[in-house]
Order: sequence, then structure tokens, then C-alpha cells
Amino acid sequence: MDSFEPQAPANHRPGQLALGIGALIVAAVLAWGAMDIPSDAGYAGVGPNFLPWVISAALGLCGVMLIREVLTGGYRQMEEPSGAARGDWRALAWVSAGVLLNASLITTIGFILSCSLCFVFAVRGLRASEGKPAGNLSQTAKDAVTGMLIAAPVYWLFTKLLAVNLPGITAGGWI
Amino acid sequence: MMDTFTQLLGGFATAGTPINLLWAFAGCALGTAIGVLPGLGPAVTVAMLLPITGQVEPTASMIFFAGIYYGAMYGGSTTSILLNTPGETGTMVTALEGFKMAKSGRAGAALASAAIGSFVAGTIATVLVTLFAPVLAQFAVQLGPPEYFCLMLLAFTTVSAVLGQSTLRGLTALFFGLALGLIGIDQITAQVRYTAGVLEFMDGIEVVLVAVGLFAVAEALYNALYEGRSPAMMNKMTRAHMTRSEWRRSWPAWLRGTAIGFPFGTIPAGGTEIPTFLSYATERKLASPEHKAEFGTTGAIEGVAGPEAANNAAVTGTLVPLLTLGIPTSVTAAILLSALQNYGINAGPQLFQTSSALVWALIASLYIGNVMLLVLNLPMVGLWVKLLKIPRPQLYAGILIFATVGVYGMRQSSFDLFLMYGLGLLGVVMRRYDFPTAPVIVGLILGPMAEAQMRNALSIGEGSFMVFLERPMSATLLAVVVLVLLVPRLLARRVAV
Repeated sequence: MDSFEPQAPANHRPGQLALGIGALIVAAVLAWGAMDIPSDAGYAGVGPNFLPWVISAALGLCGVMLIREVLTGGYRQMEEPSGAARGDWRALAWVSAGVLLNASLITTIGFILSCSLCFVFAVRGLRASEGKPAGNLSQTAKDAVTGMLIAAPVYWLFTKLLAVNLPGITAGGWI
Repeated sequence: MMDTFTQLLGGFATAGTPINLLWAFAGCALGTAIGVLPGLGPAVTVAMLLPITGQVEPTASMIFFAGIYYGAMYGGSTTSILLNTPGETGTMVTALEGFKMAKSGRAGAALASAAIGSFVAGTIATVLVTLFAPVLAQFAVQLGPPEYFCLMLLAFTTVSAVLGQSTLRGLTALFFGLALGLIGIDQITAQVRYTAGVLEFMDGIEVVLVAVGLFAVAEALYNALYEGRSPAMMNKMTRAHMTRSEWRRSWPAWLRGTAIGFPFGTIPAGGTEIPTFLSYATERKLASPEHKAEFGTTGAIEGVAGPEAANNAAVTGTLVPLLTLGIPTSVTAAILLSALQNYGINAGPQLFQTSSALVWALIASLYIGNVMLLVLNLPMVGLWVKLLKIPRPQLYAGILIFATVGVYGMRQSSFDLFLMYGLGLLGVVMRRYDFPTAPVIVGLILGPMAEAQMRNALSIGEGSFMVFLERPMSATLLAVVVLVLLVPRLLARRVAV
């Protein structure tokens, strides 16, 4: 906790406010949805729409209280988050791209290739976040091989041995 | 009593078959590994492996999962002592003294005291589970829906209001989890709720998806975003060995830690944070004057021994409400519950009758697992420490591959992978703004169960909420809920005045 380099503490209040508003929005969505749920209660006296209303109200209250805390000086009993005061958004973008590409391509190019691609992107982002060069062509090739060396055995272990269904691109199911 | 003993022997017969021993060993080894590695906890590991429930038979997979749960606690202490980045919340306190001991060249003693303490506490706690769980199950059979609902209410309250820093943020997380739990088909009337016409939402949001998103993916994203420049330093390993005086100082702390940890695990006020902190405070207070000076300076062995024992005893204790009431009090317990649900097994008081072979094999495997883990973590600790050499980028990128297996393997939907990413972002925000994540998981899995119990209870009461107050047991539980919510506040106010 006490080991990172001294930086000006980040201003968390806009984010805190956004989260309070976020809670209110979720509460509103819940309430809006709850209006469409029938209330036929049977013997219980409360129907399937009862809990949605309760949760909506509770979450709304939480949102109001959170906003009140922000307006009166910020969240109470906050523990200063670990890590840097400022986020490395480029690194985040690389890792995000990896995960999202994987999600979009997994059924088309199969588990092994898709996950290796995700690995390459994520490693690149994480390495950049450490301030190291993100990697030239040969480094990227090395990452791709590493990714495949992880993904392929995992794929075989889960599909062949444990009969978990993961997408492949060949009929034999080895790739 | 005799009956328990024969059942346990039967359990040993089942758990002792070569294939089940192999599963136990695999679980313990994998658990130790992920405990050592930062970024992966037992909950998310079990979650990622849940798809295997389609193929592996229930007893074997429960033994495997329990091994992971246990192993992670042993492995987590290694990381706390050597790296000062606790892999698990339960080993946070170990880092306080353990890291200082390692810094002053006594890493080996700290590791040994942690491993042996975990073994002692784990074994004593397993004996207690063996003795008390069947009795509690017999009692729990008499509980009706109103009592169950109140018990769940208590679990909600303690998970969100007592643990963590702020009650308000804990409750916000809890209600968010409950809201996620609403999505899908209502258990009682089969009414479809909050699916917005998306087919994938009909089955509800899987706990695996949320756990993997909030923990594994969020961890990778958070690391890229904020932790890149955080320096990592590692203490030097020394041979795991304790001197005679260190033994003498450790064993009372182990026993006290067990005594503090186990009860906290068993009540639905679970969690390992409170007992480990309590144990640390106790040891610090009871330490003899010449050792007291070591606390916070060069590191006191009691401060490792006590909390480690408390941690393991509490973790074992969480199996009591899980197996006898079907109420999970930790995130990992919640995932174990969902593993049981995958098999169509309802955890609850009937479990000891309907699946007694499974339950006893599981309990027997805990005894075996503890022995395995002692061996894995004492002579072989150097092996695990090598895992800490994996560079951070490769580690977290690799975790993403396993996250994909867990989430996609569950129901072969790439929609889930997008959802997982969204939850990952949410996890980053929650961590940054100090919202606890455990209440989300517990709310998600217990919410639908609690709703069903509540509506059944109201049916018994013919629609009147008085049913919760008229039955002595449920009224008592409600009173406890109110106390849990109010007492810490009143205490804080008195301290402030």
C-alpha cells in the first residue's frame, strides 16, 4: 500500500457521483421493467413483481445516499485504491480489444486461434502498462506462439478429456 | 455418534479410491498454484472449471473443487509472506507480520508456521464439521420457509453490511447482485422477468459468468489500467524450518486461531476477514513483553500462526452452513453451491440423507487433502515459489484464456463473452471505488432462493408478513439481523463521543 511512488491523489468525486447516478439508473430500469410484470399473487399475497419493486426501491435509496455522501465530502470510509492515480487507457484499450476480438471471432476461427489472438493483444497492453516497449514483430510472433502453447493444450484437455464443448475449425477437433 | 463414525469410514472408502485420491491431489496442487499466483482466487478458479460438471461425476468434482478451495488458502499465505500482495482476503493479515519476518530473513519460519498452522486448524475444524454438521442438519430439517428466509436475510446482511468498509457500498453491491438474480424465469410462477427479449437472458445470469467477469477479467483490466508501474519486490526464500522456540510460540496461537476462526465460518456471518483480524489482535495482546516488540517491526511468528489458523478454520467452517442449510457465506461456497445445482443436487438439510455418500466422501477428502497440502507446502514450497517468476503480462493474458474456457464452455454462447467483458469493466470500477464484490455474487445466487422461500413463507402465512414474527425461530433471526445492522453503528457512535 505504502510503496508506490508519490503522486497527487486522484480526484474520485466525479466517478463517485457517476456511480451514485448509475445506481439510480439501474433502479429506474428495474422499476420500468417491474411495471410489465403481472402481480397475480395466489396464496402468497405477493406476486413475481414484488421483489423487483423492493430491489428497485432499495437500489434507488442506495443511489440517493451515495450521491448525498459525494455532495457532503465524498464516500465515507474510503480505502485509497491500489495502483497509480491515473489510468493507462492505452493499455486498457489493448487488453479490451483482445477480449472483445476473442468474443467476436471465437466461433469463426476456433478457440485456439481466437484465444492466441486475445493473448497477443493482452500481453501487448500489459507490457506497455509497465512502461516497457510493447514489442516489435519478433516479440509479437513469440507472444503468438506462447499464446498457442497455452491455448492448445487447454483446448485439448477440456474438449477431449473433459468433454466441454469449445469451438474448433476442423472436423477432427484438434484445432 | 457411532453412526457418524461408520458414515465417515464409508466416506474414507469412497474418497480413498485411486481416482478420487487423484482428483483430491489435482485439486490441492491446482489450488496451491492459484493461491500462490496473484490474480486468481479459489472462487474464480472453481467457477472457470464448472463446465467439467457436465462430464465428471459429482463426488469426484466436489472433492476436486474442495481441494482447490483448501489449497488456495495454503498457497495464498506463501504469496503474502514473500510478496506482500495477499492472493486472498483471508491471508491479508498474514502479510502484516509474515512479510516483515521474511524481510528480516525468517521467511522459512513464517512459511512453516503458516503451513503447519493451516494443517492443525484445518484438521481440527474438519473434526468439528464431522461432529456437528449432522446434528445441525437434523435440526435444520425442522426449519420452514420463514426461518430459511430469515437465515438468508442474515447472510445478506452480514456479507454486505459487516464485511468491507462501508455498509452503504456493501448494500449497493448486494442489491445489484439481487437485481441480476431477477433476470430470467421466476421460480414460482414461471413468469419471465427482465429478459428484454434476449434469448440468452431466459436462463438467467450464470454465477460463473459474473464471478469470472468481476474477478478474473476485472483483475486483468485493472492491472493494465492502474498497476503497471507498481513495483513488485520479492523477499528471499529460506528453508522452511522452525526452531524449538518458534514451535513453542506457534502452537498456542494455532489453537487460539482455530477457536476464533471456526465459529465465524459456521454462522451465516461468514467471511475470513473478521476472524483473522480478531486472531491477530488477540495474539498481539497476549504476546509476552519480549516478543511484543517484534509485532510490526521484525515480524512476530504469533502474528502469522494465529491468523493463518483462523483463516483455515473459518474456511472449513463455511462448509457447515453450505452442507446443512444450503446457504453459502463466502464467494467460493456460493460457487460450490452452484456446482451442486448443476448436478441437480439441492444443498440443504436433506443433503445428509439424500446424498450422504457424497457428503461423507467430501468430508473424508478434507482430512486427506489437509495431509496432502502439508506435504505440498512444506518440503515442496520452493517449487511453488517459482510460479511467482511468471511475468505479469503473460500471467494475466493467460488468465483471460482460462476465463474464456469457463464462460464459453458453460453454454457455448459468445454473447456471454461480451457480457463477461462488461462485468469485467464493472469490476474495475467497483475495485477503484472500493465497492465489495462478494455481496454481488452472494446476492445473485441466494436472491432467487430467498425470493422463493419468502413467497412460500407468505403462502403459509396466507399473505401476511406477520408469519415472520409469529414463529419464535424466525423472529429471533430477524432480531439478530437488526442487531447486526445496528450494533456496529452504536459502537462507532459511542467511540466517537
